[in-house]
Amino acid sequence: MAERPLSPHLSVYRMHRYTLLTSMLNRITGLALAAGLILLVYWLMAAAAGPGAYAQAESVLALWIFKAVFLVLLAVFSYHLCAGVRHLVWDTGRGLERAQSRVSAYVVLGASAVLFVGLACWWLVSRVLA
Amino acid sequence: MAEFRLPANSRIRTGVTHKAPQGAREVRTVRIYRFDPDSGENPRVDTFELDAAECGQMVLDVLIRIKASRDASLTFRRSCREGICGSCAMNINGINRLACITSLHDLEREIHIYPLPHMPVVKDLVPDLTTFYAQYASVKPWLVTQTPAPPDGERLQSKAEQEKIDRPAACILCACCSTACPSYWWNSERYLGPAALLAAYRWIIDSRDEATGERLDALEDPFKLYRCHTIMNCTDVCPKDLNPAKAIAEIKKMLVQRQS
Repeated sequence: MAERPLSPHLSVYRMHRYTLLTSMLNRITGLALAAGLILLVYWLMAAAAGPGAYAQAESVLALWIFKAVFLVLLAVFSYHLCAGVRHLVWDTGRGLERAQSRVSAYVVLGASAVLFVGLACWWLVSRVLA
Repeated sequence: MAEFRLPANSRIRTGVTHKAPQGAREVRTVRIYRFDPDSGENPRVDTFELDAAECGQMVLDVLIRIKASRDASLTFRRSCREGICGSCAMNINGINRLACITSLHDLEREIHIYPLPHMPVVKDLVPDLTTFYAQYASVKPWLVTQTPAPPDGERLQSKAEQEKIDRPAACILCACCSTACPSYWWNSERYLGPAALLAAYRWIIDSRDEATGERLDALEDPFKLYRCHTIMNCTDVCPKDLNPAKAIAEIKKMLVQRQS
């Protein structure tokens, strides 16, 4: 007899379900934030290395490509923060009923969108337009 | 570890199409995962065009109809046909549910039926649940006591104490929750999964049980319990409206609280 096959999983499960969608987004945004740390470390190291290095880092980070990256990271940060708060509430044993977690999924998506727009406006006004 | 791709022997081929009968009034297309262990071939997905007017309104009725009139080799588990035995759990249109209480009216026109995800397949829609049952047994799903039982009757509970275990004790072990959990997919040998943990919780909070400490000790493990990342698929799919995610969260809380 042939060895038993493994039944399909990722290819058949409904991945856009609110449960999986919010969970995967949380993982992806977490990874993106970790990658974004490289930029922060670069900036801090330049600041520690002296005025010349810092001025150079400032001019590198002012490139439009890094501004675009920063905008994406703002969105990523907004989602990861809101999803993290949802997990904190869950860890207290609250909000775990099916209907509650469905509502909180949409609350997290909405709140992170609002937070992102707010942060992006603040950033545009304070850095780009200044 | 997470293995996203199916192994070579599990990749799905295109199967046969069984056309709708002459004069069918309400044609529904049903695509069903098939695996024949005797053929030595990979699994395939067969297409059945069915006259829905000829069969009952549940997915299980469709399967029984196909087995009776189209392909007698179609294999699936079923028993009670009313959502209390848990035999006919399968993945229907992307979500784990019981075929017997899933109405055709609640599904898209085209119906896709697969066995419970990420499980070894015995035949067609029948998964091998050996590991799942072993995990259930590992949480000692029975009353553990040291004190002698009252000589004149049972160990009694108050109504409030009974209500605590009322919902968790209603689990029918259909495996919809555990096989909907990505953490269980990637770590099914080491993570106990929502169904076994719900059972563990049911005995931990039982007022008559005297092994609460030992039960919590057994779960304090990076894999058995803490692979739960609160994805919530378990609670989302439970056909009995139980809440494994909440049970797991409560166990995690108890483990933290007993340290202080």
